[in-house]
Amino acid sequence: MVEFERVTKVYPTGLTALREVTLSIAPREFVFIVGPTGTGKSTLLKMIYREELPTSGRVLVHGRDVTRMPAHQIPFLRRQLGVVFEDFRLLPRKTVRENVAFALEVTGVPPREVDDRVQEALDVVGLTARAGALPGELSAGEQQRVSIARALVHRPPLLLADEPTGNLDPDTSWDIVQLLSQINLRGTTLLVTTHDKTIVDILRRRVVALGDGAVVRDQPRGLYAGGR
Amino acid sequence: MEGFEGFRRNGVMSAAAVTITMVTLLALGGALVVAATLDHIARHLERQMQVVAYLRDGLTPAQAGALRDRLARLPGVRSLDYVSKDEALTRFQQSIGGQMDVQDLLTRNPLPASYVLTADDPAHLSAIAAAAREFPEVEDVNDGSQAAARLLRVTRIIRLAGDAAGAALALVALVIIASAIRLTVFARRAEIEVMRLVGATAWFIRWPFLVEGAITGGCGAGGAVLLVAGAYTVVAYGARASLPFLLLPAPEQVALSVSWKLVLWGVAIGIIGSLLAVRKYLRV
Repeated sequence: MVEFERVTKVYPTGLTALREVTLSIAPREFVFIVGPTGTGKSTLLKMIYREELPTSGRVLVHGRDVTRMPAHQIPFLRRQLGVVFEDFRLLPRKTVRENVAFALEVTGVPPREVDDRVQEALDVVGLTARAGALPGELSAGEQQRVSIARALVHRPPLLLADEPTGNLDPDTSWDIVQLLSQINLRGTTLLVTTHDKTIVDILRRRVVALGDGAVVRDQPRGLYAGGR
Repeated sequence: MEGFEGFRRNGVMSAAAVTITMVTLLALGGALVVAATLDHIARHLERQMQVVAYLRDGLTPAQAGALRDRLARLPGVRSLDYVSKDEALTRFQQSIGGQMDVQDLLTRNPLPASYVLTADDPAHLSAIAAAAREFPEVEDVNDGSQAAARLLRVTRIIRLAGDAAGAALALVALVIIASAIRLTVFARRAEIEVMRLVGATAWFIRWPFLVEGAITGGCGAGGAVLLVAGAYTVVAYGARASLPFLLLPAPEQVALSVSWKLVLWGVAIGIIGSLLAVRKYLRV
């Protein structure tokens, strides 16, 4: 699904975000990317959806080298991915339904299909009853569910979540991670960056730990801090 | 639709962009009107297809008759008319109207007799004029094509000056329009960010801003067209009444030829300004 081949990223300021990262994510996997702040977790995800280019190395998504991808093809790559952020990134003047539909409308999906797919996504995240609400009327957890629904509406095989529980209380964080687990069970590959030790330790999924930009640990059924 | 919305929402900035575009195009429009007028006069002169050969005073009827035969045989001469000194004075009096009675002022008629040669093709005018000048009986030759060529040279200079001034002002308008569009881009940055992330193509994102730029430029052009055409109409109708020999083109003719050029320029400036703004701020 995703391959990193000796990927290094050095920013113009001289900061090295990633060092010789080699990593392979198989379809239907659920992977936590953990590590201290500034260790390159977000940069890793940005490479996948081509928001950043590596200084050296290759990144392959669905077998395609995205580092060599021409700019006009990037939108089509992103339609095959879902991305969820810590700050939700919802449009405040659009309702829940409109926020989710937006992802389909701006990518040319025929109007007759939009309603059905929006409904499907809202059903998955359990927000059908709140479809007419504005983001300002929702709790943080509900807003993140809307963000997840929008990420799912293209039915992507791969979902990237960058600190999805960063702005949430522990109970809500657990709800969101359970939702992500259900999505994974339905067949979507999941890559989640997180600082949330509790959730990582409870779920015991594959853990890739970054330290100073390099992969320092890669464990199936791992713990946040390593060990068994 | 979003392009119209963006134009409307920007309010003051859109108004500023429209105004500066209008000023730019006023300068260009003025140059175009002057050039179109001179062009019209030049072509009118060319279409006259006439060369006037002024005769020396004191020719005998036989000399004048022999000259007539030789002029009529010149290649390209279709017909030939004789204008006597008296007839010339009468025509002159008619052209200046009742402003003065020249016959009262003059002790002798200074105007020469002439032969008016009509050419069968404007291309022959220069050759006919040159040949006519060779005849010793001919004092001077008034060649419509020379005047036309001189006017066309002036027209070219005015056009070049107008284009240069227009290009400089267009650059200013471009910068102002780009700034106005940047405001819209900035106001919609959250939406644009989401569009980029969910896979909207660059042109889908870009398109509404180009429409907004085209509207801004088009409105500026519209204002310029109204002012230029309006001003010319007032001047032309006034001049035709008091200076009929000026041969000014009809206002509708000038308005039509200048309008579409100004609108094209305005829309082009608007679109280019938008492309620059979008490119810089959208990383698209």
